[in-house]
Amino acid sequence: MDGQLQQYLPVLILAVVAIAFAVGNLVASYLIGQWINRRRLKSIPAAKNIPYECGMLPIGAGNNRLSVKFYLVAMLFILFDIEVVFLYPWAVVYREMLAENAGLIFGSMFSFIAILFVGYIYAIKTQAFDWKV
Amino acid sequence: MKSVGLEHYLIVCALLFCLGLLGVIIQRNLIVMYMGLELMLNAANLALVACSHFLNKLDGQILVFFVITVAAAEVAVGLALIVAICRRKQSTDVADLNSLKL
Amino acid sequence: MNLQLITLEVVVTLIGATILLGSLWLPADKRRHLPLVAAAALVVLLIAHCFAMGVDTTTTLHGFGGGIVQDGFAICLKRLFLASAAFVLAMSAPFVERLRAGPGEFCALILFALVGMLFAASANDFVMLFVSVELITVTFYVLTSFQRHETRSLEAGAKYLILGGVATGLMVFGISLIFAGSGTMSLREISKLDPLPNLMLFNAGLLLVVAGLGFKIAIVPFQLWAPDVYQGSPTPVTAFLAVGSKIAGFALLMRLLRHTSRPETGFLLDALAALAAFSMIYGSLCAIWQRQLKRLMAYIGISSAGYLLIGVIAMAKGFDGTKAILFYLAAYLFAAMATFTVIGLISKEGEDERSEILNGLHKRSPGLALTLTLSIVSLAGIPPLAGFFGKFLLLQLLLEMAVNNAAYYWLLGIALACIVASLAFFFGIIRAVYWPSDVALSRATAPAAPIPTSLPLKISLAICVTGIILLGLQPDVFLDLIQETVRAFRWQ
Repeated sequence: MDGQLQQYLPVLILAVVAIAFAVGNLVASYLIGQWINRRRLKSIPAAKNIPYECGMLPIGAGNNRLSVKFYLVAMLFILFDIEVVFLYPWAVVYREMLAENAGLIFGSMFSFIAILFVGYIYAIKTQAFDWKV
Repeated sequence: MKSVGLEHYLIVCALLFCLGLLGVIIQRNLIVMYMGLELMLNAANLALVACSHFLNKLDGQILVFFVITVAAAEVAVGLALIVAICRRKQSTDVADLNSLKL
Repeated sequence: MNLQLITLEVVVTLIGATILLGSLWLPADKRRHLPLVAAAALVVLLIAHCFAMGVDTTTTLHGFGGGIVQDGFAICLKRLFLASAAFVLAMSAPFVERLRAGPGEFCALILFALVGMLFAASANDFVMLFVSVELITVTFYVLTSFQRHETRSLEAGAKYLILGGVATGLMVFGISLIFAGSGTMSLREISKLDPLPNLMLFNAGLLLVVAGLGFKIAIVPFQLWAPDVYQGSPTPVTAFLAVGSKIAGFALLMRLLRHTSRPETGFLLDALAALAAFSMIYGSLCAIWQRQLKRLMAYIGISSAGYLLIGVIAMAKGFDGTKAILFYLAAYLFAAMATFTVIGLISKEGEDERSEILNGLHKRSPGLALTLTLSIVSLAGIPPLAGFFGKFLLLQLLLEMAVNNAAYYWLLGIALACIVASLAFFFGIIRAVYWPSDVALSRATAPAAPIPTSLPLKISLAICVTGIILLGLQPDVFLDLIQETVRAFRWQ
C-alpha cells in the first residue's frame, strides 16, 4: 500500500471498531429484549415501553413546533456570518496594501461594512431581534 | 498510484451538478428542490476551486466567495418565501401551486 | 481604483439605503410618498447624468481589474435603466397604498435591483456578471412575492425562485467550465486568447451561461416561468421584470457573445438564431388567444426577446447592431411602461387582470384608452409608431446578415409572419377598449366611473406617449442621439 495511505490505517481500524461496537450493542439489546419478552410476556410493566426506563418522565411531544422567531434570528445570523467571509482575504492583504494603497484597502472594507450596518440598523429597528414581540 | 487531475474533479463536479439538477426536476417538495439547487451551486464551487488550484490562478476562488455569500442570501430569501407558502397552504408540494392559470 | 466609473451605482445605492432607513422613522401616513420621492431622485440623477456630470461617452474606460467597463453602449443602457426604474416607482405610488408590508422596503428593493442592472450594463468579467445578475434576481425573489397575503403573488415568487435558482446554478457551473477551458475570468482576455486552451470545456461552459441568461430574457425554451410570474407579481414589479430585468439580461448576453464570438463557437449563434425564431413564433401564437393582460405582456415580451436576439446575433457576427438594439429597447421601454401603468390603474386589488376590465374603457377614461391603444400599436409593430421602426431596423440587420448566409432569409420570413400574427392580439384589445360587445358590457362588474389618475402618473404616461410617437415619426432624431453617444464605441 502507498505510504501516504498507510498512516490512515489506525483511523480505519478505529472506524471498524466503532461501527462494530454500535451495531453489536443494538443487536444485543434487540436479542435480549426479545428473549425477555418471550419469557415474561404477560407481565411487562408499563415502564418498559418508555424511552428512558429509569430516568425522568418525558414531557410533551418530541416534535415541538418552534417559534418562527428562532428561524428569523437564525437566518439573520447566517447572513451576517457569511458576509464575514470577505473579511478573511481582506485581513490577509491589509498590512501589505496599507503602505501604498491605504485609501483603497480602507475605503472598500469601510463601504462594505457600512452597507451591512444599514441592514443591521434595519433589523434592529423592525424588531427582528426582539423576542418578546 | 495515479495522481488526481483536473479532469477527475470536473467529472465529480459534473456528477454532483446533474444530481442537483435531477433533484430539482424530480422532487415535488419545495424544500427538497431547494436542496437540489444548493447542490448545483456547490458543485460549481468545487469546480471553481479545483480549476483555481490546477491553473494556479486565484480568480476562481474569488468567485467562490461571491457564490457562497449570494447562496446564503438566496437561501434566506427562499426559505422565508417557502415558510410563507407553507403557512398559507399548509403544504410545500409544488402540485399545490396551481392558482396561476388562464 | 476609478470611482468615477461607478458613480451612478454608488448614488443609487445611497438613495436606496436612505429610503430604507428613512422609512423607519417616517410617520406611517407620510411613507406613501416615498415612491414619488425615489422617482424624482432618479429623474434628477438621469438628467444630471445626461447633461451635468461630464460623462465622456467617446472613450472606453476600464476599471476594477477589468471587471467594469464604461463605453457609449453601457452609458446608453444605464440611462434606459434609470428611466425604467423611475417609471416603475411612479407607477407604484398608488400601488403601495394597498401594501401591507412597507413602502420603504418596496422602493429600496427596486432601487437595489436597479443597482444590479447598472452594474450589468458595464460588467466585463464573469465575477461582475454573476454578482450583477444575482443582485437583480435575489431582489426580484422578494419583489415578486411582495404581496404576502395574496396566494398568487406567493406562487409567482416560488416559481421565480426555483427557476431562477436553476438559472443561477447553470450559470455558475458554466462560468466554472469557461474558467477551466480558458484560464481566465475576464471577457477581454478571453477575446484575445487564440487558441483556447480547452475548446470543449469552454464551449460547454458558454452554452450553460447562455442558457442561464436565456432564463433572464425569457427566450424559448427557457420562457416557461414568464407567464405565471408576470401574472402573479404586483403590476409595477411585472413592469420592472419585463423591462429592466430583460434589458439587463440582453446587456450581459451581448457583451458575452461579442467577446467570445470566434469561428469555433459559431454553432452557438446558429442555435440562438433558431431560438430567436421559436421565441417569435411561440410569443406571437400564444398572445393571440391570451385574455389575461399580464400574461399577454409576457408573451409579447417573449416574442420581443426573439426580435432582439436577431440584433444580438448580428452584433456577435460583427455587424453594427448597437443603434438598432438601443432603439428597439427604448421603444419597448416606453410602450411596455405605458401599458403596465394603465393595467395597474384599471385593475383593483386582488382582481385578476383579464381583458374584460378593459371593456368600455373608452367611455370611462378616453385618455387612458388612447394611451393603451398607442402603446399596444407600438408593441404590435404597426406603422408609424416606435415599435414598428425598431423592428424595421432589426429586420434590416437581418437582411445584411442574409447576404452571407441564405438561411437568414428563413428567419426574416418568420419574423414578418409573426408581426402579422401579432395584429390579432392588437385587435382583441382595441375591440374591448372601444367596441365592447353588449354581452361583455352587461357582464362587466366594473362601474363606468372615470378612473382617477394622479398627476405624476399623468406626467409619466405623457412622457411614454410622447416617446412612442416621437420615436416613430422622427426616428432620425433619436438615432442621431444614439449615434452621438456610441460614435467612438468599440467592443473592448
